[in-house]
Amino acid sequence: MKKTILLAAFAILGLVSCTNEGTAVNTVSSMKTPQMENFDKAFKSLGEPQNRPTEEERKRNTSELSDRRKALLVPASKELILSTGVTESELMRKTGGDMSQIIVWATQIYMKKSEDIRNNIKAEN
Amino acid sequence: MKKLLTVIFIAAVSLIHAQNLKLIVNNYSTTFDFHGTLSAHNFGGGCYPYVTTNSPAMVVVPANANMNNGNELVYANFKDQYVNSLYPNASWMVQLSAATSIVRAWNHASIAPGGVISANTKWSSSQFQMYYAGTSTPEPSFSGLIGEPQDPCTGAISNISTPYGDVEWFNITTGNVDYSYLQIY
Repeated sequence: MKKTILLAAFAILGLVSCTNEGTAVNTVSSMKTPQMENFDKAFKSLGEPQNRPTEEERKRNTSELSDRRKALLVPASKELILSTGVTESELMRKTGGDMSQIIVWATQIYMKKSEDIRNNIKAEN
Repeated sequence: MKKLLTVIFIAAVSLIHAQNLKLIVNNYSTTFDFHGTLSAHNFGGGCYPYVTTNSPAMVVVPANANMNNGNELVYANFKDQYVNSLYPNASWMVQLSAATSIVRAWNHASIAPGGVISANTKWSSSQFQMYYAGTSTPEPSFSGLIGEPQDPCTGAISNISTPYGDVEWFNITTGNVDYSYLQIY
């Protein structure tokens, strides 16, 4: 009798834990760090009316993002790089303060982190 | 012997110039799905090799699929995209000249990273058509050829504005890194 009750208790525990599993669905967006979120927002902000390319920027011969618009991505990029434990002086030494290098470095960190999150989700399921 | 040396020389030069390229598509539109080809070609004189998505020819990046929710399209190269990207393309149309085109599976050795085709092409453009999200209804005036501007091989422009939304193509480059972004707002 005791055994049956125990078994039933474990079965219920098992069921409960399975139900909880559903509520704790992890998605890439829910597992992102605040620094990653800000980095995303910075890229999205390029579409806001005041951040769209100006007439002059459109007439340029290159598709390289203009310095004005790169500057919109730099604060979030720096934040993301520093969040990995890199110091401010190391950041300056490695990039020389070059906006493209800062953004590219942050993008590489971002993609690595997204990949890790995706792999974690896969491993959990 | 001379031929072999030439091949080795070209391969070596290609390797030296091997760049870290990526194509990233962020669809921030919440109303429209993006359906478009994705092309890369040689920018070092002539347009070939010219490589375009083939299966599917039009890659679909759904409405609101972007870095904000981790659903952006990222293609690092012709091969790894099939394994790593959320929007895999199983084969590529490879044009070696105006007259010669071959379909190559994603894992064909000739288009692998570090190979001559991969080393001599850069992301260039997309012929796209926006569809109302989740439907097969296109919005005829929200379409076009977006890509590197001033490119005689494609004739693409880098900014398209419509009453339905805007599309732009831009790059962020450093010495050996070149990230191309296609963003839809």
